[in-house]
Amino acid sequence: MIAANIMTSGVITLTTGDKMLDAIKLISNKKVRQIPVVDNAGKVVGVVTPRRLMKAILPKYISEGMLEDVKFAPELPEFIENIDQLAFKSIEDVLEKEFVAVSPETHTMEIAALFVNAKKPAETILVVDDHKRLLGVISPWDIFKRLWEYSEKKS
Amino acid sequence: MEPQVIALIVFVGVYALLIWDKINRAVVSLLGASALILIGVLNQEAAVHGIDFNTIGLLLAMMAIVAISQKTGMFQYLAIRAAKIAKGEPWRILVSLSIVTALLSALLDNVTTVLLTVPITFLLVDELKLNPYPFLVAQIFASNIGGTATLIGDPPNIMIGSAVGLAFMDFVVNLGVIIPAILAGFLIPMYFIYGKKMKVADDLKRRIMAFNENEAITDKKLLVKCLIVLAITIGGFLLQKPLHLEAATIGLFGAAVLMLITGDDLQHVMEKAEWTSIFFFVGLFIIVHSLVEVGLIGQLAQKTLEMTGGDMKVTGMTILWVSAIASAFIDNIPFVASMIPLIKGLAPSMGGPDAIMPLWWALSLGACLGGNGTLIGASANVVVAGMAHKNGHEISFVKFTLLAFPMMLISIIISSVYMWFRYFAG
Repeated sequence: MIAANIMTSGVITLTTGDKMLDAIKLISNKKVRQIPVVDNAGKVVGVVTPRRLMKAILPKYISEGMLEDVKFAPELPEFIENIDQLAFKSIEDVLEKEFVAVSPETHTMEIAALFVNAKKPAETILVVDDHKRLLGVISPWDIFKRLWEYSEKKS
Repeated sequence: MEPQVIALIVFVGVYALLIWDKINRAVVSLLGASALILIGVLNQEAAVHGIDFNTIGLLLAMMAIVAISQKTGMFQYLAIRAAKIAKGEPWRILVSLSIVTALLSALLDNVTTVLLTVPITFLLVDELKLNPYPFLVAQIFASNIGGTATLIGDPPNIMIGSAVGLAFMDFVVNLGVIIPAILAGFLIPMYFIYGKKMKVADDLKRRIMAFNENEAITDKKLLVKCLIVLAITIGGFLLQKPLHLEAATIGLFGAAVLMLITGDDLQHVMEKAEWTSIFFFVGLFIIVHSLVEVGLIGQLAQKTLEMTGGDMKVTGMTILWVSAIASAFIDNIPFVASMIPLIKGLAPSMGGPDAIMPLWWALSLGACLGGNGTLIGASANVVVAGMAHKNGHEISFVKFTLLAFPMMLISIIISSVYMWFRYFAG
């Protein structure tokens, strides 16, 4: 089985010119883990992830790992106020440029290995063609769903 | 070519590369050291003989102890406690954080101290909606000043103590006593420059009081073990003279006991040691030893004696001030490494090893405090500037130096007055 068989196509995307407000609408209306971002030519340039957005509203000394946890500190009111500013940021400013992409011919086992071992945090894996145009996405559950379907059919 | 000329060329080349700062300093020093052996200026046996294993052992021991004890959260605990003792009052927080930083730096290395406490400073200052700049400058100064106080506080002291056979208490009695005055000599001007203007609303102060420092302690059992071993180790240092033990012996014993009772993953502890620093020291010791072997240091000592006329006051003050100015711009470790044999060479003509003791204190005060003079003067400065940069607060070289250099001069003036009355008057 290859990526093309298990991916979900017709994925919602954002373009680099969009504002965060557009992303927030998408996140609250549809159940998406991460939203691929494409440029005007349709090429994937990055993804918007909740992890990256949290980094954008946390103080740098926390998001950069200088303080691992802050359970000893009271909440900074600024932390909540930062949300309002986030809405007006451009997608380009909060883009996660590190993402995992594979070709449609990639084998399922390789994809599973990527989910387990990828250095870059991957919540979903993108499937792109030779010109980096988005064909679909694969979530970790997609692999299981297709494998289960396959084994049911066999038996 | 004469061995003397080769040794000098290698030494100058190594120094130039260190100042250029584009190649890792451990690589530079190992290249220089191995080149000297390859060319035949000194053989490998003599090179190994030149390495001060007491310094290496003590550095490794303290790195291991710190690597384990930093996981307890006690450093963060102390920084938060300091802010709460200050009742959230910003200037008082700056003073209490400085004192905690100085005390920690006296017992641990300066870089670890700032790496663990400065993030707490960022958080505290954020809660108070203040600019972190004065707090960061204060912690840089406090860490370098505090490090001067003890044998284990700063690498120059470890090297001097090891080379001269000085004990922990020798440093406390001769240097530690003047450290509070030097810290005050820094904080008083800071009050008039920054402290007077620091005002925050009461609700912001309450935020500081809402911190729960107990939550910072991540592992109580480990904390107890670490405190016991730290107490034994420091107790050992205090009794170093009557016990007739080298500092490395005490430190390595403490580190071994801590690894035994915590069952900490040895591999992890070993990886945490700063091996680049260790190899930098190894190479440096070999290079400086070759200068001694070929007689260059001896000649330099002779020249120094001719210039100072063997006068203790002139020599002491010269060492203090030259060390301070030099250490503000260049790494104080190679500077001190080369000064040690030079000062040793002065001893025979100036009344023997006991008579020249003040010169060692002058070297330590100059080299450790001089590091405050510029942003590149000491490792702690560079590390804090890097953390500030990551956090979006630039500490510029020029802005820092304009404040820090005069402040450093104040600390050297205080040191001069102290040395004058304690060692030279009469």
